[in-house]
Amino acid sequence: MSGDWPHGYGYLPLGEVTSTLDEARARVGEMSGPTWITATHQTAARGRRGRPWSNPAGNFAGTLVLPNLTDPASAALRSFTTALALDEALTTLTGRPEAFALKWPNDVLLNGSKLAGILLESLTERGHLTGLVIGIGVNLASAPDPGALEPGALAPVSLMGETGLSVTPDDFLEALAPAFARWEAQLRQYGFAPIRTAWLARAARIGETVTARLPGDEITGTFRTVDEAGHLVLSTPKGERAIAAGDVFF
Amino acid sequence: MTKNSHDSDVAFIQALAELLRENDLTELEVKREYGEADRLNVRVARGGQVVTQFAAAPAPAPAPAAHAPAAPAAAPAPSSGGEDDPAKHPGAVTSPMVGTAYLSPEPGAAAFVKVGDKVAEGDTVLIVEAMKTMNQIPAPRAGTVKRILVEDGSPVEYGAPLMILE
Repeated sequence: MSGDWPHGYGYLPLGEVTSTLDEARARVGEMSGPTWITATHQTAARGRRGRPWSNPAGNFAGTLVLPNLTDPASAALRSFTTALALDEALTTLTGRPEAFALKWPNDVLLNGSKLAGILLESLTERGHLTGLVIGIGVNLASAPDPGALEPGALAPVSLMGETGLSVTPDDFLEALAPAFARWEAQLRQYGFAPIRTAWLARAARIGETVTARLPGDEITGTFRTVDEAGHLVLSTPKGERAIAAGDVFF
Repeated sequence: MTKNSHDSDVAFIQALAELLRENDLTELEVKREYGEADRLNVRVARGGQVVTQFAAAPAPAPAPAAHAPAAPAAAPAPSSGGEDDPAKHPGAVTSPMVGTAYLSPEPGAAAFVKVGDKVAEGDTVLIVEAMKTMNQIPAPRAGTVKRILVEDGSPVEYGAPLMILE
């Protein structure tokens, strides 16, 4: 990697692996600072709660390991910095900011459809949080088969399919790594407030009716904002609801 | 945040003032307690209406029963205050954040632990998700699972007791 690769960030390119998340867990002990791990092929990539994540060749599959995080609530705010970094990298590479938007907490949409997936997992040691692994998949070349989608879920699209632009995984990481480093530095220096403001400026459907699906519950309301803790705020007939975890449907 | 640094306190207060301005708030109350259980309570309000309230302390601290629920969305944390209050149990595993608790790694999979299981310190006993971040909650010490206080997929508050280990 060359260009403006961020100072202090490591890079570990791998060939075929089960998943970059698994590799991150296995190798975190060797890392002294934040480290990007990429793979040319993942044989067992996964999404949230065991959902499969298909990873066709030519798409970006990477994991960022952030060691030395100790507060779970602020660790989770990396959902927003990661989404902002993806949005920034995509805007830089395409020159089309209007094509991209964000969906709470960390989905990146292209022309209103799902382009990328982000999954964060904590690392613990002897009962305490020690770090975070952030798994990132971006459909650069092709979109996976939408056959297994949940009802109401956004159809996956690819950057190539929607824009005709060809971006290699390496080129994508060269744009993503410095973007992430800037957002991470901002979060560490100024806290969540500027991240929240930037995220809200790129959010889809503010002021419109959305549905948050929780285990055993569904909350429909007007998407008001994201609060200071990063929770989704919907106004419903029963009053304002702040939602910490759930899937948002338009 | 260091305990005795004047500079960091000033920076903290400036950050709070900035938050007030940026979020159009009229009131912001911060209570910090130092000692064995460092604790930070924050309450903010806009035009007399409490907007949000949260409490943070280094895990694994016992759930502070006197605190109001952290978010209007979630179910109230049990805080009967009586002898049976699981939050006060010395073997309580508490939630480090507001989120959704999961007892198994994925839907349909076996639970991380069941009542009667022996766990070693650091074993994952459940997951709390917030904002697509999966926080594996480790056993703070070795022991036997005596009670599981949450259902799979249920909302949990900060500091809420999740499990009792003995």
